Amino acid sequence: MVNMYQKRKVVKGVPISFGIVMGRTRVILPGDIKVAEVAIATSSLDNEIQRLDKAVAKTIEELRLIRDSADKKIGGPVAKIFDAQLLIAGDYEFLKQVKEQIIAEKRNAGFIYNSLVKKTTNPLKKSDDAYMRQTVQDIEAVANKVLSNLGGYHKKPEVKFPADTILVGKSFTPGEILSYRRRKVTGFLIGEGGRNSHMALIARSLLIPVVTSEKIWTRVPNNCRIIIDGTNGIAIINPTDKDWTEYQRRRRRQGPATISRIKKLTQIPPQTADGEEINVAANLELPGPVDDILSWKNIPVGLYRTEFLYLEGDDFPDEKSQYEYYRGIAERFARSEVVLRTFDLGSDKFRDNDDTIKEDNPALGWRGIRSMLDMSEVFKTQIRAILRASVNRNLKILLPMISDVTELEKAKKLIHQAMLDLRRRNVPFDSQIKIGIMIEVPSAALTAEQLVQKVDFISIGTNDLTQYTMSTDRNNFRVANLYNSYHPSVLQLIKMTVEASMKYNKPVSVCGEMAGDKLALPLFIGMGVKSLSMNPTKITDICRLIKKIDSNLVYHLAVSVLSSQTAVSVTRKLQSFMTALEKK
Amino acid sequence: MIKKTATIVNKLGLHARPAAQLVSTASGFESEVFYTKDDLRVNGKSIMGVMMLAAEKGTQLIIEVDGPDQEQAMGAVLNVIASGFGEEV
Repeated sequence: MVNMYQKRKVVKGVPISFGIVMGRTRVILPGDIKVAEVAIATSSLDNEIQRLDKAVAKTIEELRLIRDSADKKIGGPVAKIFDAQLLIAGDYEFLKQVKEQIIAEKRNAGFIYNSLVKKTTNPLKKSDDAYMRQTVQDIEAVANKVLSNLGGYHKKPEVKFPADTILVGKSFTPGEILSYRRRKVTGFLIGEGGRNSHMALIARSLLIPVVTSEKIWTRVPNNCRIIIDGTNGIAIINPTDKDWTEYQRRRRRQGPATISRIKKLTQIPPQTADGEEINVAANLELPGPVDDILSWKNIPVGLYRTEFLYLEGDDFPDEKSQYEYYRGIAERFARSEVVLRTFDLGSDKFRDNDDTIKEDNPALGWRGIRSMLDMSEVFKTQIRAILRASVNRNLKILLPMISDVTELEKAKKLIHQAMLDLRRRNVPFDSQIKIGIMIEVPSAALTAEQLVQKVDFISIGTNDLTQYTMSTDRNNFRVANLYNSYHPSVLQLIKMTVEASMKYNKPVSVCGEMAGDKLALPLFIGMGVKSLSMNPTKITDICRLIKKIDSNLVYHLAVSVLSSQTAVSVTRKLQSFMTALEKK
Repeated sequence: MIKKTATIVNKLGLHARPAAQLVSTASGFESEVFYTKDDLRVNGKSIMGVMMLAAEKGTQLIIEVDGPDQEQAMGAVLNVIASGFGEEV
């Protein structure tokens, strides 16, 4: 018997899906797949086979429902996760084998089905290949449903949970996340699953906070108070009243209720106290429930990441399916603009089991535009798909990780070729489509003047710019304290980029984490930044703060801040300005 | 009955999506299709069977096809394997 946490316990896990939720735990034990072995009389064998057919039919029905609801809520690519499961459920040859064995061994359907599933999954479980092992999860998710529909297997009661229930368990399938969400579960503490797992993608698009932490879940008692901070990957089991109040405060501030808060925004785009319009946009990575409210409020998408299409699928999707996906986005945001960033994949993001591209230093390696220029067919396919979806004229193309003019020119040449391909095929597209680049590498910031002349717009990625300028991997705890976007060196590079863009009259936007940081807002406005793109949860606060800022006043603040020698002195100046501002 | 050998060439091997593609290719023919890897022999029209092969890149599969349209079926199966299922090789 493991020791349960009876006292306050702070768990530092992996942040899977952002937001804060607070409530009571419900521990879900993994379904017991030990299925009883029952001898069946020869006269009842037909009946046993009919039971199996019914259970399979019901499973297929359920999977279709889940797929359709995922399709409606989240969109095509996520729904495809369930397509493989549907194939497995309806595998005619496999079911034929099950039936033959039921007759030959005169045993119950559940027992035979389960033992044949195990026979299939065992070799996969032993594979060294992580991708092969992953298919086991798909097979087991289907098997559990079939067994559950057969009965004779401990069935999880389909009840509604009390309000603010947080589920704790070893692992959850994407389908379970969807179905628990419907039953009012607000958050999860899970034993297994990485940031790129299907479960994580579903949770993020449904805005359900999730933290994963290995082994911890077995020691969490049922019905105890718990706080899940999915943004920082923290779970507090049996929190004190002080924790509770603190997190209530934080939750009010960051809020899971992004949607209702954005709904209340009155002035979009917001204006500064002296009437300067600031363009606030959202960073998105896959379709989700926030989209509707963003689109309804005419909030544009300043950065739409597309890596998800690769990470979610088995490979780079073909032109047609990408086109459908981008067209869906273009239609959803028909009245506003969407900046689609082309695949930004590094060796750390390519399949984790492929050692042909294992690099000692992925951040400095084959990533962003670099990998795409080498895989020019993949790149051109994506560009053609975006172009085809651009007929509404509300899409823009953003190229990641450009480090100099040569790379930009190569990329532009490929884009041109993609356009010629489409012309040859007589396919319509927006021939005036705007092409921009991310400035997130110091070499690009230092040569911003040359780069901006060759593009239509600029987007400053502060996260990578900080990492590269400070030569610091923020995930390396030994040096993480050196990662500071407020360091004067980073600010200088941002300033150079903004000035170069203004000189050539090209729109410039900031899109890293800093864009949603209230502390940095007066500084950006002071530097002349007119456009910020951020996580949707940050939009409301930033919009509210913009209204309080006087752009003339912050110009002087920016001058003073940019003359600072240390990050500490920068933050101190900004903090004291903020304190004065918030009193207003 | 015809019998041939083929090598899995795509980078990620015979995981879910290629398995599905291989199964639907085989299912389009009347002939029976079987794959053998080491001493494991599976039905080519069963996704569970094909997945069970856990065939990574470089794996050699023995393909047996038997039926009225065996030539076409073998051709189609060899073709889809050699093309790396449209994936990166």
